Amino acid sequence: MGLIERTPLVNLQPVKFLLNWGRKYSLWVMNFGLACCAIELIATSTSKHDFIRLGVIPFAHGPRQADLLVVAGTVTDKMAPALKRVYDQIPDPKYTISFGSCSNCGGPYWDSYSVTKGVDQIIPVDVYVPGCPPRPEALLHGIIKLQEKIAHEDIREKWSGKLTGAPAPS
Amino acid sequence: MASSPGPLPPAEITRRLQARFGEDLLEASVALGQAVVRVTPERYRELVGTLRDDAEFACDFLDFVSAVDRGEDGMEVVVQLWSTSRRHQVRVKVAAGTDEPRARSISDLYPGANWHERETWELFGIDFEGHPQLVKLLLPEQFEGHPLRKDFALTTRLAKPWPGEETTGEGPE
Repeated sequence: MGLIERTPLVNLQPVKFLLNWGRKYSLWVMNFGLACCAIELIATSTSKHDFIRLGVIPFAHGPRQADLLVVAGTVTDKMAPALKRVYDQIPDPKYTISFGSCSNCGGPYWDSYSVTKGVDQIIPVDVYVPGCPPRPEALLHGIIKLQEKIAHEDIREKWSGKLTGAPAPS
Repeated sequence: MASSPGPLPPAEITRRLQARFGEDLLEASVALGQAVVRVTPERYRELVGTLRDDAEFACDFLDFVSAVDRGEDGMEVVVQLWSTSRRHQVRVKVAAGTDEPRARSISDLYPGANWHERETWELFGIDFEGHPQLVKLLLPEQFEGHPLRKDFALTTRLAKPWPGEETTGEGPE
């Protein structure tokens, strides 16, 4: 139990706002680049598009430092366990952006024998960015959408890890 | 610069191979500017060995080993050879059969064939006799079936049929 769980302070709207405001502009991003989308993700991190101005810090040296996981590219069934492992190593609270058609739903590999059709079968996803590949502007838009989501979160619920647990096996 | 003999014309390659292998060269043609030969499984290794060792062919580089599923006509192993010194190439085809398809390994002739044959083995289910280590290379260990076979069922396609035009598989010969 940490301070967040023990104190009633976070129920106060100004405190809640302040905590979420701090969190949404401090997202250390983990690069899970797997295909051409990874190039767009990297381009978004460089000077022209520069997602650091939105508080997204490129790039965490390992999942244990990261807050945000961007899955950019084609996840194969063989890669899926590694992705799950990386996600599990990220400490709560954590967020996932599925970047590009392949990681959203399989994309052009929708009927492939080896591609996972949708990364949300493996890990929970907060924001889906469509495109093949999406332009950096699309990722910036996705980050803003994620920040809107964070701004309205109940921090204690998010901290509990219940929201980021593995999807129940069907 | 030391002069090396230039590339043999494709028709000349097929002619010389025909002279050596006679009846065992089931098919010899020139397609897309290169020599294409089909050989009997019995003399497949001998043919590849000839192309590698004989100075007039000097095919010292193995480009790839793959296969084609010809449905009822069975599997066919395709080998592409390249000569770095003479700068010509030869495509060798050999039938692998229908049930339990098999072919002789050439990984002792070309070490580079090792992984190509492993890949062809897992994707097409063609057994390469004499291969030192025929285990999965690319597919996950628990994967069942041979996904590049025509009869391999794509589960997604069972749920949703191919939305575009059917590809007939007819291409330039």
